[in-house]
Amino acid sequence: MQNLERIPDSLGYLVISEDKAVVSSGGELENDEKTAALVYNLVQKAYRIPVMGDKRDGFKKLTINWDSFFYAITVSNNRIYVCKRQYNPQEPMVA
Amino acid sequence: MEKALERQLDETMNNPGVVGVLCADKQGLCLGARGTGERQTCGLITSLAETAQKLHPDESSSPVISIETDNMQILIKSKEGITTAVYKSST
Repeated sequence: MQNLERIPDSLGYLVISEDKAVVSSGGELENDEKTAALVYNLVQKAYRIPVMGDKRDGFKKLTINWDSFFYAITVSNNRIYVCKRQYNPQEPMVA
Repeated sequence: MEKALERQLDETMNNPGVVGVLCADKQGLCLGARGTGERQTCGLITSLAETAQKLHPDESSSPVISIETDNMQILIKSKEGITTAVYKSST
């Protein structure tokens, strides 16, 4: 679980079990059960969207992006891993 | 108005990597579809965008949702009551 804390630009993290319980949390998302319930709901819906060719596999990564931060969500071992991260886009290079 | 939307959908399909587009209204009813996008998915996509917005209801703009699989990426965004999903092939 400590590895989630080491993600660069991380603002907070959540690990949610298959029965919607918060297994582990930290940062801004510490004990954030409201976000956990919303993310659980999002994952359920995202799994139901048919994607040509890989209906059974579901998605690998789900991201929800705002201007200055984003949520990166993935499912592994019957658990949902959520990381809220700061978004710092690099300035384009001017040649 | 419909012609403008149809034209926009066709233009989106001409972008590199785009294999499907879906467009839905606030109620999740399909306004237009091209390519891979299944019309039945419109309700789900609208609902997904609505739920994502609830994560940060105080933010002025709606988020861009990206669903990635091994060979496809779906980008979803809501604006002014219209939800659009773009299916992009990553291969």
